[in-house]
Amino acid sequence: MIYVKNLHKSYGKLEVLKGIDCHIREKEVVVVIGPSGSGKSTFLRCLNKLEEPTKGEIIIDGIPLNSEVNVNAIRREVGMVFQRFNLFPHMTAIQNITLAPVIVRNMNKAEAEKIAMELLAKVGLSDKAHEYPDHLSGGQQQRIAIARALAMKPKVMLFDETTSALDPEMVGEVLAVMKDLAREGMTMVAVTHEMGFAREVGDRVIFMDEGIIMEEGEPDEVFSNPKNSRTQAFLSKIL
Amino acid sequence: MGLNWNAAIESIPVLNRAALLTLELTAGAVAIGVVIGLIMALGRLSKITILRGAAITYIDFFRGTPLLVQIFLVYFLIPKLLHWQELPDNYQYIAGIAAMGLNSGAYIAEIFRAGIQSIDRGQTEAARSLGMTHSQAMRHVILPQAFKRVIPPLGNEFIALLKDSSLLSIIAIEELFYSSKIIAGRTFQPIPMYIAAALYYLVMTQLISQWVAYMERRLGKNDLR
Repeated sequence: MIYVKNLHKSYGKLEVLKGIDCHIREKEVVVVIGPSGSGKSTFLRCLNKLEEPTKGEIIIDGIPLNSEVNVNAIRREVGMVFQRFNLFPHMTAIQNITLAPVIVRNMNKAEAEKIAMELLAKVGLSDKAHEYPDHLSGGQQQRIAIARALAMKPKVMLFDETTSALDPEMVGEVLAVMKDLAREGMTMVAVTHEMGFAREVGDRVIFMDEGIIMEEGEPDEVFSNPKNSRTQAFLSKIL
Repeated sequence: MGLNWNAAIESIPVLNRAALLTLELTAGAVAIGVVIGLIMALGRLSKITILRGAAITYIDFFRGTPLLVQIFLVYFLIPKLLHWQELPDNYQYIAGIAAMGLNSGAYIAEIFRAGIQSIDRGQTEAARSLGMTHSQAMRHVILPQAFKRVIPPLGNEFIALLKDSSLLSIIAIEELFYSSKIIAGRTFQPIPMYIAAALYYLVMTQLISQWVAYMERRLGKNDLR
């Protein structure tokens, strides 16, 4: 589904990604962990070209991510959920969800709204369809952001620290939605600090540090028996 | 000080008409200015060097030269550029509105640019990550939020323009200041006439700022911040 070859990313002299190779299979749930500044968010953002790679190759669903023409086509297939939700504040929840299907996929409005209501039901917010984001809690906003990304019927979902900006009591409701998605067979790449989530639904854990993949493997294996000393040091701090 | 207010009182109907003309000139100029301003702001933020350069040149020129000079330039330049042998009736209104519109376009461009840039980067990223093109993201996500934010500075620009429209007296447009000046000269009562003119301007600028405040409240009703 996603092939990444020798991916490099620099900001001026600062090299954030120093050669990432990985392959993410269809229906796989990959959890990316690592200390802050390790390049994990940058890696994720390269996957839908919010960041322009300095070097290397990314192929998503058979389409190489190299020209501007392909970018919008790829982004339609790759949903992204952000740490700070980024809902459109001038639109209600349902307008947030229907906007892209209507203007990007040329779906008619009635159909888009029907799908939006189904998605709102799925994330447990049917009663909030006509609320503006500012009237919703962080957890509710994030669930709507997930619904908004799903409305484009993406083949892959990227989650960039989606629970890090939430109050602790709201983390669970967002993780529950993500777990449902994983169980339904969505291909997912999630940068997260939620190790419980990684263990429960992750098929594979990637540990990144200093811009490279230091270790990867099945969650149980990586968490209980990390081989790399950096992984050991990181896990001992957070577990 | 023995001021004679009769002339001012008797000229109220004339001043009313002149004030209305002032409002019309200003509204016309703002309409042109908003369109030019939006185009120039988008040009200023464009990745395409030529567009950006053209927008910067435009903005620098109209902000860096006096409006009075621009009024004369436009007044004499339009017939030359369009090869008019004789000027149409009421040509001064066309030139006046055009000059003020071109001028305010430069200021409004900077207002829009600041408004667009004040919108969080995450908004663009969210829009683009949903597959929207740059212009779709601008139109549906960034500009609606930016417009709301620029209402107060836009209101200030509207007020500044209304006051600056008095400069149009120089090309014999019978707006408020021109009319006051003519009557003052005829009646030898400059002080009452200019006080009257000042009051008219004051009432109009107050009305505009009230209206702007109302629009701001109305459009801001969904924001808790």
